[in-house]
Amino acid sequence: MIGRVLEAVSGRVAAADALVKTDDTLSLAISPDGETRVAASRTRNAYLRVLRDGRVGYSSGSGGDAEIPDLVGRAMTSAAAGEELDLFLPVPAPIPEVGTRSPQAAAADAAELDGLARTLLERLQRSNRRVETWAERSVGSVQVGNSRGVLVGYAVSMAGVGAVVESIGVGSAPPCSVFASGSDLPTLPEMEGLVAEVDRRLNPPIADLSSKPASRLPVCLAPRAVATFLRPLRAALTGHQALLGDSPLRGKLGEQVFDARLSVIDDPLAPGRPGSRPIDDDGVVSRRIALIDRGRVAGFLADLGVGARAMVPSTGHGWRTPNAPPRVGMTNLRVLPGPENRATLLTMMGKGILIEALEWGAGSNPISGTIALRAPWAYLVEGGRVRGRLEGVMLSGNVFEALKELGGVGSDATWIGAACLPSILLKEMSVHCER
Amino acid sequence: MKDRLFDALGRSRAGYTELRVRRIWSTSVLVRDRSVESASTASETGGVARCCSPGTGWGLAGFSGTERLDTPALQAHELSLAGASRQPVVLAPIPVREHDSAATIPDDPREVPLTEKRQQAESLAALLTACDRRIASTRVLCRDEVVETWLATSEGSWLHEVRAEVGAAVLAVAEEGGNVERALGSVRVRGGWQDGAPGSEALVERVAIRSVERLHATPVRSGRYTVVLDRGATGALVHRAVTHLARPSLPGADPDVLPLGMRIGPECVTVGDDPTALGLSASGVSDDEGTEGRRTIIIQNGVVVGHLHSRETAAAGKQAPTGHARAGSLRGAPYPRASNSFLAQGQGTLEDLLQGISLGIYLIDALACESSGDQIALRAGGARMIRHGRLAEPVKGVQITGGLLPLLGRVDAVAGDFAWDTSGARCRDGAAGVVAVTTGAPHLRLVDVAIGEGIS
Repeated sequence: MIGRVLEAVSGRVAAADALVKTDDTLSLAISPDGETRVAASRTRNAYLRVLRDGRVGYSSGSGGDAEIPDLVGRAMTSAAAGEELDLFLPVPAPIPEVGTRSPQAAAADAAELDGLARTLLERLQRSNRRVETWAERSVGSVQVGNSRGVLVGYAVSMAGVGAVVESIGVGSAPPCSVFASGSDLPTLPEMEGLVAEVDRRLNPPIADLSSKPASRLPVCLAPRAVATFLRPLRAALTGHQALLGDSPLRGKLGEQVFDARLSVIDDPLAPGRPGSRPIDDDGVVSRRIALIDRGRVAGFLADLGVGARAMVPSTGHGWRTPNAPPRVGMTNLRVLPGPENRATLLTMMGKGILIEALEWGAGSNPISGTIALRAPWAYLVEGGRVRGRLEGVMLSGNVFEALKELGGVGSDATWIGAACLPSILLKEMSVHCER
Repeated sequence: MKDRLFDALGRSRAGYTELRVRRIWSTSVLVRDRSVESASTASETGGVARCCSPGTGWGLAGFSGTERLDTPALQAHELSLAGASRQPVVLAPIPVREHDSAATIPDDPREVPLTEKRQQAESLAALLTACDRRIASTRVLCRDEVVETWLATSEGSWLHEVRAEVGAAVLAVAEEGGNVERALGSVRVRGGWQDGAPGSEALVERVAIRSVERLHATPVRSGRYTVVLDRGATGALVHRAVTHLARPSLPGADPDVLPLGMRIGPECVTVGDDPTALGLSASGVSDDEGTEGRRTIIIQNGVVVGHLHSRETAAAGKQAPTGHARAGSLRGAPYPRASNSFLAQGQGTLEDLLQGISLGIYLIDALACESSGDQIALRAGGARMIRHGRLAEPVKGVQITGGLLPLLGRVDAVAGDFAWDTSGARCRDGAAGVVAVTTGAPHLRLVDVAIGEGIS
């Protein structure tokens, strides 16, 4: 279809690129009362961008051949009102090898998903728990082409399994959500990892506090909590915000801003992860980008549009989504692991708080890095050992300040969706414990 | 389309089949500072087939385009038979009805050239910048959408509806002496561009004033205060604290439903949800199962008296469906969701509520309102101290945190100045997706409320 779309605009525009994405998702959920819901969804989306008279126009549609004239007509209309921009589309280049599809995941049917969800359900089930599990697989394709000769396609698959576990009658913690995902079907060890994580989060009794913990304490964030904690850092390194906007890191390329133990990369070439891809949605070849190198700001992410506005090359981080203009986004975020295992980090912490998961609440500002995050899964640690679960914990402070001087970085880097993150020990954070 | 849908339904072997097709046209213009960053158009068509049979659960098949409508219907039936240990689906009965309100819409946004929409966005951006010399950076997004829906069920119900809406979202960043503050707001109304986006100019001024005001606002001192919430903040609180907990069996969220008969607030608290309210973005002639919407009271004088139902949850609770089954995406299944949630008005004015408060806080709008377990956090868009019964200096970082039910128990007065809020609110809820919602409320007073530490 890409060829037909580009042919339809040939000679009428200075340049054009097009993208077609298809997806076929099958998902199955087992409710706590045993009800199974099976759903399938087939989607197809086409995106067209044209450069005409120095202006850029965008359109998107459902991607059928019959819709090509409408897609083209709307892109032309959009260009007449669009942004004036010197946008240079990429030329063909060697495409890196990256695993994005597993035949097993692509072939999984409802019975196989039912088996996965049921296995996890049985492993998590306890008399005092309400457990809901789900399993999902999707298979699809991405094709991107432009008027300068790029024409690339790749197949993708994604599979995941997860659970929402509620502990009945123990305090007021919210349901505990865990999941594992990748391009292949989850393995038994991965599911056992989820079971262990749920046990680790739910099993400790509520801490017996004779007095409230101090308001400023060292805090050890487990990988799932790190994923939430780093949201302001992700925003500060990405797109318009980083290159032209009000990111606190703007203009600090090469400066030592953070602790030397912190290194962050964006890695689209990691095999079989949710953000893995050989080429971005603009047709720019994917490559690993160092964002923070031993505490120094090493790079920012751009797509063709933001790159043109900021007069820097695209890093291959363009994404297109239905009913929205192109956007810049990360692929797979990796924080490089440190030398200490979790037990060592807890020992180094002395008396402090271990947080397994954080919730991005109403009180946080992703731009300034000021946060007020609820920590429903927080534990009091003394002498390197978990003493009990804490309820009503709020973590507040500034993410950028906290990352300036770390207590340590763990060796336990774990994939959580499209991020591979280790535990991080923060030297001191403001902790408010209501109960 | 009607013949094609019923033809596909006729081929389905399931006991009950439902086919929904939706086409969404949209345009958006984004102006950053004085420059247009994008002017884009989109059109997406797709839908979902949903099946169940005696002794089976649901099977769902979402699709793009409308080429073969019988394929998803057959696939949904196959999926309804897949899996194991199924619980049969029981649907509460509804009258079979046919409704077609898809005649030409009088003020169709599709008829307005994109260049005119661009001018509209540029004018708003210019107005925003001109409001105050301290406005350093701005963003204006103007968006319109026309949604055409076809719904047919194997019971014979048929619905065809077209609706249009336009809106604007505005962000202002104010800067003075190295101090940077931001404010944002949005408006969304049914209809087209004939009168601009009604309220958008007022919105621009409000956002500009708020961003500048925050430059000199002091962080609030945490503690316990008497608070007065404006209509926007009250609506957000009611939506999150009451209507979210008035929906039985929503997968992945809110397992705890307010039990019927439970007292959760004082006599002055009456809360409901009204999908039939005229002209609001979440209103409609029926829900996504074909049930006619009806105004539903959830809390009457402080006591829980009703829930928001789909056909399935109504049957399980031995209640009547309320017309609140809403799909959170083009290809999503309908679940019980709020539409236009309201707190019924009481008596008096804002001044009456302020009277007698020696030290308190007035909350303006809600930037976010979220709950987790039995806890809720509402972050105000703006705030002022109340001193000796009058609104005083602006403060920032105001956030209410606390238990959901204890908070409602602290309501002590409801004003008589009810109005619907036309800000473009959306409710995101786990697997159930995102739906447009509206809230309506008068001013509200609560006593002895915990205000969290300042976050700015």
